[in-house]
Amino acid sequence: MADSEFERQAITHLDALYNFAVYLTRNPPEAEDLVQETYARAFRFSHRFEPGTHLRAWLFQILRNTFLTFYRLREREAAVAEDGVPDWDTPMFHDAPDEGSGAMEAHTDLERALRRLPEEFRTVLLLAEVEGLPLEEVARVMTCPVGTVKSRIFRAKERLRVLLRDYEKR
Amino acid sequence: MTDPLSELPDEALGRRLAADLPRHGAPARLRQTIAVAGRPQSVVTPWLSAGLAAMATALALLLFFVPLLPRITPADPVQRLVRAAVAEHTRTLMWGARRPDVIPTALPWLTQESGIGLRQVFSGDERLTLLDAEPVYLEQRRGIALHYRDEDGHLLTYLVLPAPGLPMPDRQRVQIDRWRPALMHDGGFSVWVWKQGDLACLLISDMISETDLGHFRDYFVRVRVATEPVPAH
Repeated sequence: MADSEFERQAITHLDALYNFAVYLTRNPPEAEDLVQETYARAFRFSHRFEPGTHLRAWLFQILRNTFLTFYRLREREAAVAEDGVPDWDTPMFHDAPDEGSGAMEAHTDLERALRRLPEEFRTVLLLAEVEGLPLEEVARVMTCPVGTVKSRIFRAKERLRVLLRDYEKR
Repeated sequence: MTDPLSELPDEALGRRLAADLPRHGAPARLRQTIAVAGRPQSVVTPWLSAGLAAMATALALLLFFVPLLPRITPADPVQRLVRAAVAEHTRTLMWGARRPDVIPTALPWLTQESGIGLRQVFSGDERLTLLDAEPVYLEQRRGIALHYRDEDGHLLTYLVLPAPGLPMPDRQRVQIDRWRPALMHDGGFSVWVWKQGDLACLLISDMISETDLGHFRDYFVRVRVATEPVPAH
């Protein structure tokens, strides 16, 4: 695939990637950084993309890996809440604007509950249910077997219900 | 009345996720930035990669030869000894304490190897733990090194080397009880230097802050009181 064609096709997935990034980072300025970094990597390593496979899944995979790379760096520095869910208010990138200037507010219980899920549960729901990726592609993004994806979806929903119940009681 | 979300079965909950979660569209400026970044960079001059390769080669050569350049060694013999002692201490820091030798059992061997005997040795207390002892060779002299670690994790090296005629630097000498060791600094390390007969004794640590120096002073006293090195031959 020619570079220009690759880039043209990659950019058609920008909205989906940005949406995913916003839910991962919960911070639009950070999401922009993350997406920008994703595209920079995708363009740099476009020769590694196997034509015929799904470009969208490949881009999601790069985005998630990039997120996890920075997330792990941050995780070492940031406090992790008691339930093991990291403190999402800490900026992911060191040079990102701080929370006051860009953190996204959750408007619904569903958003709030989703935000509190651990990353692997959040990602699996976002990819499979929100983006509608087939399970095989989700498995590719998450580099795990399809069976694991299925069980993660199941467990993610279980946990989501528990969190939703909390909000509904209030 | 609709079912609460928490009561929805899996499939319906999945549908609600897809339908109810707001979608965030990419800002126009992001689209523009990515489009610009993705454009083929025809402006990159063909000589750039060759230039970078040449620079990388030059840098690699420079890095290769830097260690071969002669080091500026201080003319002052005490300063030179301090530098060598600090290098030895740094080596211990990097490689860690090796064998926790029990001093009484290791003493005959150490004395034979180092040419230094220890009539008395500070074997640690509630603040300092003796890690090990080993013979060393510094500034063309055989000597002995004992390594301690304090409660805060600072590593201390106590070194004894034969140094007849080594002048003590007057300006750096500090009165501590009945002794007047010199407090010297080199490469971020503090070093107590004193003489016991014809032997030069050094106590090295990375303790440089004012509080740490207070402790370091105390460690000097502990080691000095309880250790008596003598030339073995």
